[in-house]
Amino acid sequence: MKKIVAPGEVVTEQRKKMGDNVYSLNGKIYSEVIGITDNESTMASVVALKGFYMPKQNDIVIGLVVSELFSGFLVDIGAFHWSFMSKEGIREPLKRGSVVSVKVLRVNELNEADLAEPRVFYGGEIEKISPVKVPRMIGKNGSMLEVLRRGTNCNLIIGRNGRIWAKGGNTELLFKAIKIIEEEAHLPNLTNKVTEFLSKQKR
Amino acid sequence: MKKEEKKEYVNKKGLRLDGRKVDETRPIKITAGVLKNAKGSCYLEWGINKVLVSVQGPREVLPKHMANPLKAIVKFTYRMAAFSVPDRKNPRPGRRDIEISKVCGEALEKAILLEKYPNTQIEVWAQVLDSNAGSRVAVLTAASVALADAGIPMKDLVTAVAVGRADGKIIVDLNKEEEDAPDAVDMPIAMMTNSQEIVLLQMDGLFSKKEWEEAYEMSLKALEDVKKHQINALKQQFKEPIETKTTEKKEDNQVFSKSLSKNSPSDETKKEKHSSEKKVVKTEEKEIKSEVQ
Amino acid sequence: MQKDVLLELKSDKILNNLKEGKRADGRKLDEYRKIKIEKDLFHNAEGSAKVFLGNTEVIAGVKFIPGAPYPDSPAEGTISVGTELIPLASPYFESGPPSMDSIELARVVDRGIRESKAVDFKKLCVKEGEVVLIGFVDIYAINYDGNLFDACSIAAISALNQAKIPKIEDGKVVKEEFSGKLKLERKPLLSTFAKIGNALVLDPDLAEETAMQARFSVATTEDNFVSAFQKGISGSLKKDDIDNAIDIAFKAAKEIRKMI
Repeated sequence: MKKIVAPGEVVTEQRKKMGDNVYSLNGKIYSEVIGITDNESTMASVVALKGFYMPKQNDIVIGLVVSELFSGFLVDIGAFHWSFMSKEGIREPLKRGSVVSVKVLRVNELNEADLAEPRVFYGGEIEKISPVKVPRMIGKNGSMLEVLRRGTNCNLIIGRNGRIWAKGGNTELLFKAIKIIEEEAHLPNLTNKVTEFLSKQKR
Repeated sequence: MKKEEKKEYVNKKGLRLDGRKVDETRPIKITAGVLKNAKGSCYLEWGINKVLVSVQGPREVLPKHMANPLKAIVKFTYRMAAFSVPDRKNPRPGRRDIEISKVCGEALEKAILLEKYPNTQIEVWAQVLDSNAGSRVAVLTAASVALADAGIPMKDLVTAVAVGRADGKIIVDLNKEEEDAPDAVDMPIAMMTNSQEIVLLQMDGLFSKKEWEEAYEMSLKALEDVKKHQINALKQQFKEPIETKTTEKKEDNQVFSKSLSKNSPSDETKKEKHSSEKKVVKTEEKEIKSEVQ
Repeated sequence: MQKDVLLELKSDKILNNLKEGKRADGRKLDEYRKIKIEKDLFHNAEGSAKVFLGNTEVIAGVKFIPGAPYPDSPAEGTISVGTELIPLASPYFESGPPSMDSIELARVVDRGIRESKAVDFKKLCVKEGEVVLIGFVDIYAINYDGNLFDACSIAAISALNQAKIPKIEDGKVVKEEFSGKLKLERKPLLSTFAKIGNALVLDPDLAEETAMQARFSVATTEDNFVSAFQKGISGSLKKDDIDNAIDIAFKAAKEIRKMI
């Protein structure tokens, strides 16, 4: 059974393996964030309802080029600091404002990311969502992503950092659907709901 | 009304000037997530006090030399609006503002898991819009909620309350009139209640050790009450993920979700039939692999 | 003010859409966003108002302080408008002494009110030559999504209108007692425009402000006077722009005045 827990609330008093966003004290496991926990799970963990993006190696994210340096570029990926991307091997023309999808090459102990393999996007629109909702926005095996693409005919890329790039198709409808997923990410049956919503609106 | 005559701060029936019992706090109302441009935010009303708190960060530390390579630093700013007090307050921060900023920031540092974000700063801005004694405990209580709203991990919420004495009686949550009592003692205290760790403690007045202990005991119960408000405020923003709606829900105007009936719980486990087809697009993008928590 | 790179990206699109007379939220070029005004919010302030202008939110509070009058106007009180762009309102606002933007904002709002003689300063006289009242209007930005000028102007006028005038005895405020309410002679309101390409748009949101080359604010009164002009940032305007702006401002401000 799922329930919402706040920081400092008990997740479980049982001996369970600890997952994300929890810590143990005196035999009890507590939540560190506001999020959802499932006491039927064999692991004690909390899926955060609020949060921000922390870069991890191999993440694919959507970034904005902020400035050009001698040896590389500074890219805003919504992390704590701007990230560095070396010029080596880059053949695409990049400038301030270029929208790129990039891979996080490595992350140091200060959570600073180095980026590589940029692909430039031309045109289109960018929206931001809370990074904690990204998994739900993509869905199991990309299922929600598929629903969004089919329902709106948009080219659509969701970055692990909560940035969404979309072009073509009905972007207005897409962003409405995205807002719904954001608000109901923790509720059941969402994929079906979104499919129905999009087909109703498509007239 | 004999204004300058002796007031009965606690009368024979155990009631205070505003009708409260000695261990009763003023009415508290807390709302989280009220500011769109802030990472986290909280609006709190406590008696007449009205405070608005925002959280930004973790983000780059400026000036850079202040950064700590081992953990995040907390930059807490307490400010009172010029119109928040009976005699207009000059907008320039005074020494009181700076001291309160310091002790509140230090209180939160113990609760936040700062080691997760080295070399960054977490900024808390607390704006008092209306005040009547106890603005610093209001601000600290609100700040915890705002931090949780920002998704910043904490061991526990920090909860604060002021306890003290007026007319020889130990009372909780003094209002301005009680603070002005001739023998008034005002003791703001903030704790992480799970571990009973005190993270803020100040006092002015004359207290005996016994009175301190009585005040401490009284604060424990008050803190539990205040904490319930904090937790409710955080949870209120979200619809419960379970079927049985036992608590009252926040009104939502999403026609979308109302029109569809909810089916049985096991949602996430239902296998979706779609396979992820690779869509060919002009700019060769990489397919995002599925990642479900 | 530091700007968001993401917003800069939208500038070209905004410019192109305006060539077809379109705005991102579907508004007409001379249309305000949704406005909501809440009044009398606080115990300590003698007058107060919270204004929602689209997603921009500001709070204004009025405090009357007794003081000595200026020698050249012994029977007149005065007002003083201040604004603070606090970090609550935007991740790009920094704490510290008032920035140039904050000071310009305060002075323009003040000018619109003062020069229109919205407040009859003689009504703020307590004892000629000895005690007058200074009405401090302090405005705080709470959420910034463009056009703080108009939001602050509406908030200031709303807070001043019907503000409670404290009772003064022996040059001091008598707590919790009032001698009446402040009645405004006029209700001047600022209307602010953004010049984007050749288009002039009323009430720019943050994205439009990021795209604009020039800004123009004009305060108008219900009896068809203008009481302040302010051209802002580093682009330029033509006379036609000013003429259009004045015409639109008269109409638009009239609608807002009904809400105060």
